[in-house]
Amino acid sequence: MAYQFDFAFIPDYAGMFAHGLAYTVGLTVAGGAIGIGIGIGGAISRLWNLRPFGNLYRYYVELFRNTPFLVQLFLIFFGLPSLGIKLVEWQAAILAMVLNLGAYSTEIIRAGLQATPPGQIEAAESLALTRWQTFLYVMLRPALRKVWPALSSQVVITMLGSSVCSQISAEELTFVANFIQSRNFRAFETYFFTTAMYFGLALLIRQAMRLIGRHLIVRRPLS
Amino acid sequence: MPLVSTNRLHKFYGKNHVLRGIKLDVEEGEVVTIVGRSGSGKSTLLRTLNGLESIDDGVIEVDGARLDVDHADGDTLRALRQKIGMVFQQFNLFPHLSVGQNVMLAPQVVKKMTNAEREGIARDMLSRVGLAEKFDAFPDQLSGGQQQRVAIARALAMSPKVLLCDEITSALDPELVNEVLNVVRRLAAEGMTLIMVTHEMRFAREVSDKLVFMHEGRIHETGHPQEMFARPATPEFANFIGSLN
Ligand SMILES: Nc1ncnc2c1ncn2[C@@H]1O[C@H](COP(=O)(O)OP(=O)(O)OP(=O)(O)O)[C@@H](O)[C@H]1O
Ligand SMILES: [Mg+2]
Repeated sequence: MAYQFDFAFIPDYAGMFAHGLAYTVGLTVAGGAIGIGIGIGGAISRLWNLRPFGNLYRYYVELFRNTPFLVQLFLIFFGLPSLGIKLVEWQAAILAMVLNLGAYSTEIIRAGLQATPPGQIEAAESLALTRWQTFLYVMLRPALRKVWPALSSQVVITMLGSSVCSQISAEELTFVANFIQSRNFRAFETYFFTTAMYFGLALLIRQAMRLIGRHLIVRRPLS
Repeated sequence: MPLVSTNRLHKFYGKNHVLRGIKLDVEEGEVVTIVGRSGSGKSTLLRTLNGLESIDDGVIEVDGARLDVDHADGDTLRALRQKIGMVFQQFNLFPHLSVGQNVMLAPQVVKKMTNAEREGIARDMLSRVGLAEKFDAFPDQLSGGQQQRVAIARALAMSPKVLLCDEITSALDPELVNEVLNVVRRLAAEGMTLIMVTHEMRFAREVSDKLVFMHEGRIHETGHPQEMFARPATPEFANFIGSLN
């Protein structure tokens, strides 16, 4: 006899799924916003070799881009308490997401800043703008615009990677799925539904990033 | 006292000695045109005047702002740059900002003008270059000639004492050259101090009070344009004129 699909249990767990989904969205929004912020700071520090940030960022970026996310998460959640820094699950999860995305977006945004035509920087300098004003008003927006698709993909990748946070019992979507599956042993249906939720969420994030990007691109008055 | 004066100006690119002791004085209201063969150091000279290129020896003074080898920090450079506007061959407008925003940016962030002040100035400057109606357009919606006129308005909005123009018509289609030259002609007539590099010899002869012929990093010959063209004093300048036709 073939396997009998039965999705009927899903409404019973709607609340739990919603909780997991919200948790994942929360991790992604916090990780995305702060991570990109860190990336902007990192990108300009690296580009101008600001002391001491330029070098610190270099080691940080290399470290986080060349190690597994799960190990980074464990180091933060299980390792840091040995140094007296105790974080609860959601704090550790957000910190890991932020640091991971921050490292990748540093490199992505740096590439965008590097692509600024030198003539535009010279024009800004000749108008007596300071370096920071040139960065803020002349370089940043076109740079972000240029790398926005790459940055959006990285946010989606990080969102998908957040499923790993189930390993420290952060109650995100995968954690919830694992829990439900252990209750009803409906592995296929549970993970199929979870897959669909991740897929939908990924599409939603891409769309949201597109809208935010359009806002960056949109031609609007200064500040 | 001259408005702009340089003395013993030297510049090296590595071992390449590009400026070899430039002494140049420009009076207020004077229009000076620099000519010379490719590689003679014309652009380098203009770019050192507002600190886009560092110098290896010498002094630059513009209306009381002074720069020399030992005093070239950010504040010194910005003080100098507030006295000098520059227009580039490639326009270099900021593509993400509207025409009005391009012109208002420096008055806003450098001079900290209020909204109304900077908009007033931007509209004035744009009408001076004949582009008042393009305030809300974006650079990519303009012709090359219009973009260059916006770039001139952008420089003028900082009320510079002197305007530097480095081959500002060289990137334009021939039919767009005149609209830009007309703006420069009008600025000259209004008494703006101008230092320009151009290959438009006819124009140079017409508007310049002083012609500077650069050769191998030096000011090789200088004087009134009509006289210089009529009676070149050096074989190099004679040669240069000869090569124009
Ligand atoms: N950024 C740079 N790095 C190294 N060498 C440079 C640089 N800019 C200019 N040079 C060199 O300096 C010399 C003078 O160049 P400059 O651009 O001032 O000449 P120019 O008179 O403006 O020539 P053109 O008529 O072709 O514009 C040339 O030999 C050039 O190769
Ligand atoms: Mg040149």
